[in-house]
Amino acid sequence: MVVLLNRLPVSECLKLCHRVVDGLCGREPPHRGDHGASWSLEEWLELLDSLTALFRRAVGSNSSDEEVLAGLADVDSSHAESVLSVLRARREEIRDALLDRTNSISSATLQDFDWQLKLALSSDKISSLHTPLLSLSLDVRENRALRSVTMEMNREELNTLISSLEAANKVVLQLK
Amino acid sequence: MEEVDKILIHALKQVGTEVSEETDSVKQFSSELIVEAVVRCIRVIEPGLGSPLPTSLPPGMSARFRVGMSLAQACQDIGYKGEIGYQTFLYSNEPEIRSLLMFLVEKLPRESAEASDQPTGKSVVLQRAIAAAIKAQLVVPWLPPNCRLPLHGETQSPGSLHSFHAQPLSLPHCTKGPGKNQLKEVQDYQRDILPPVTAQPSHHASVVASILEQHTAELSAAQEWDNEWNSQGLLSRLTPQEYCSRKLTRLRKRIEEQLRSAALPSAESAFGGPRSTSDLSDLLQAFRGSTPSDHILTKGTHFTHTQKFTFTQQQQAAAVTRPSITAGPQSESDIQLCQQEEQLSLQQQFQQLCSDVEQLAADMKHMSVTNAQVLDELKQRDLGNSENEEKMQVKKKTIDLLPDADNNLLKLQVLVEASAKRVVNLASQWEKHRAPLIDEHRRLKEICSNQDLESSRKLSEIKSLHDKIRVSTEEAKKKEEIYKQLVTELENLPQDASRSAYTQRILEIVSNIKKQKEEITKILSDTKELQKEINSLTGKLDRTFAVTDELVFKDAKKDESVRKSYKYLAALHENCNQLIQTIEDTGTILREIRDLEEQIETENGSKTVANLERILEDYKAIRQENSALAAKVREG
Repeated sequence: MVVLLNRLPVSECLKLCHRVVDGLCGREPPHRGDHGASWSLEEWLELLDSLTALFRRAVGSNSSDEEVLAGLADVDSSHAESVLSVLRARREEIRDALLDRTNSISSATLQDFDWQLKLALSSDKISSLHTPLLSLSLDVRENRALRSVTMEMNREELNTLISSLEAANKVVLQLK
Repeated sequence: MEEVDKILIHALKQVGTEVSEETDSVKQFSSELIVEAVVRCIRVIEPGLGSPLPTSLPPGMSARFRVGMSLAQACQDIGYKGEIGYQTFLYSNEPEIRSLLMFLVEKLPRESAEASDQPTGKSVVLQRAIAAAIKAQLVVPWLPPNCRLPLHGETQSPGSLHSFHAQPLSLPHCTKGPGKNQLKEVQDYQRDILPPVTAQPSHHASVVASILEQHTAELSAAQEWDNEWNSQGLLSRLTPQEYCSRKLTRLRKRIEEQLRSAALPSAESAFGGPRSTSDLSDLLQAFRGSTPSDHILTKGTHFTHTQKFTFTQQQQAAAVTRPSITAGPQSESDIQLCQQEEQLSLQQQFQQLCSDVEQLAADMKHMSVTNAQVLDELKQRDLGNSENEEKMQVKKKTIDLLPDADNNLLKLQVLVEASAKRVVNLASQWEKHRAPLIDEHRRLKEICSNQDLESSRKLSEIKSLHDKIRVSTEEAKKKEEIYKQLVTELENLPQDASRSAYTQRILEIVSNIKKQKEEITKILSDTKELQKEINSLTGKLDRTFAVTDELVFKDAKKDESVRKSYKYLAALHENCNQLIQTIEDTGTILREIRDLEEQIETENGSKTVANLERILEDYKAIRQENSALAAKVREG
């Protein structure tokens, strides 16, 4: 359904393709509002899907320019050329993003983490506590849904966590 | 004494005494100033003792007397051993006050000195800073949100906190260098379309987080590579690119092995079922991103080929059977019946076909195995055949040669000899060629081993250099840190510039004392020598006198004139003794005079006369106060 690209001027097409690749690499995907009312919602979604699949396929199977052009046979030559230039420019980035996807093949992967250090001054039973507490929040991607896991630890628990993570890292290093 | 007074005044100023700029020695201290200084020192040393004491002298004379008494008591409580009483404060004399103030200043607690002696380090400084910040925040009272000033916003309002979320950024790397010229499209993209880093993340708040994250990731990757290269890469004697590619292939092989070992058992256990292949293809699909499966399996395994083959066969078979059965229109019930029958028969047929296919597949497998076996056997047979043929030909030739045996034998012998000669010839030639070749080989080998040695030596050198570099960079970093820390500490130190002056002065004093000591020892040895000389002279004198006395005494009995001379001699001796005695007496008297003069000086220094006058005045004032009080009592 890449044919739908023909409704756009060439310069716009270039920008749109770059935005699609941005979305593929984990940044902000394009908005329909930015490109006027050229397509209905269904067409827009279809176009996005097909473009994304095209880029993925081209980089994933390392296909040459001719193969990509063959896949774009039903699009204007100038449009196809612009798509091809986008592909050439962003090949490395797309490759990195695909590798990243492959790396996170397991069911749950750690996307990001954040921590805050808090000082508990008192509790409901002790008036003067002065205990440092670490609240760690892990952003886990599980079946494409982002889930935040938050936990609070005192000093000993944090030490246990760090030592177990270090042990895991050692195992990973042995695999190399 | 001036230096000591300066130090004392500086210390007193730090305690909080208001010493005016003009006073620069203890001599100029007034009674009020002395009382204030002593009270402030006592308050710092022992707050419990010092707090009831007033810092200024009251106007009334008797009250002043009482203050003086209590101050003296407090000083003794702290541990002052010298003479002290109310007169020390009211009628001060310089040395006493100086010794008292020195004692008090020495007793002052030295927080700053202890603080600077603590072990220092970057983390310690940081922790101290954190502790100070937290302390300051704890001191600030909590305010309800409406009353908060912008000043409190930083620490008390939670609105300014953003969670730390990183997003991938795209940066054109300049570090790759000009040697790697980039594609024109890439340059165009980076110039025209790529937004600046600050505009790349979707939320403005995550800009910093993303940049930090990116930087940390790159830094840790670089560090890891550096570590690995230094520990393993250098030893492998490869260029970095070669090392990388070798590692890549090794890892690939490992992953492939792992995948194969994980995928094989399931494929074998469900032989013929479509499950295993779909699993494998799923796996492969997941590896390549979600491309449709038609595009992936361009190169299928042997297994998928056979599977495809059997399935297509089956479909073809079904297609063939269908048209033949669906011929011949009949009435509807018949048609239904027919259809059911057909269905049944078709099902049966289908099942039969299925079982047939399975059987055929099994047969085929069997056949292929037997075929391979038969082929092997055939090959072996062929080999045996050709061998036998060769043997037969040799035997045939020998049979042909048998009739003319002797002749042929001779011929054969000649032939054998010729060939033996040829062999010898060839061997000698070979030897000729071989010797230089072997020499060459040895030489090359030696060079090779030399080079090996050299390279390993260089490698070890490189390694040690790397280690040195690391160590020295670490040291440099450490030293820089210490330097920075010391600079900050220096800035934080109170600016009493006289510190170095003090130390210099102390050193001077010490050297002076040394000089004086030397001189004293010189004088002491001098006196000792003199004493010795005096002793020996007196001994000599005594002895000569005794001898002369005896001689003259002997002659004196015979001669009158000699008796006279003996008398003179005795008189001379006595007079000389008296003279010596007088000289010694003069010396002691002179010493006494000097002592007395000194005493007078010290007495003069303690302002006795002035003090006595003041005491008299104060005494009069007390008497007046007493009489006034008595009058008041009488009036009352």
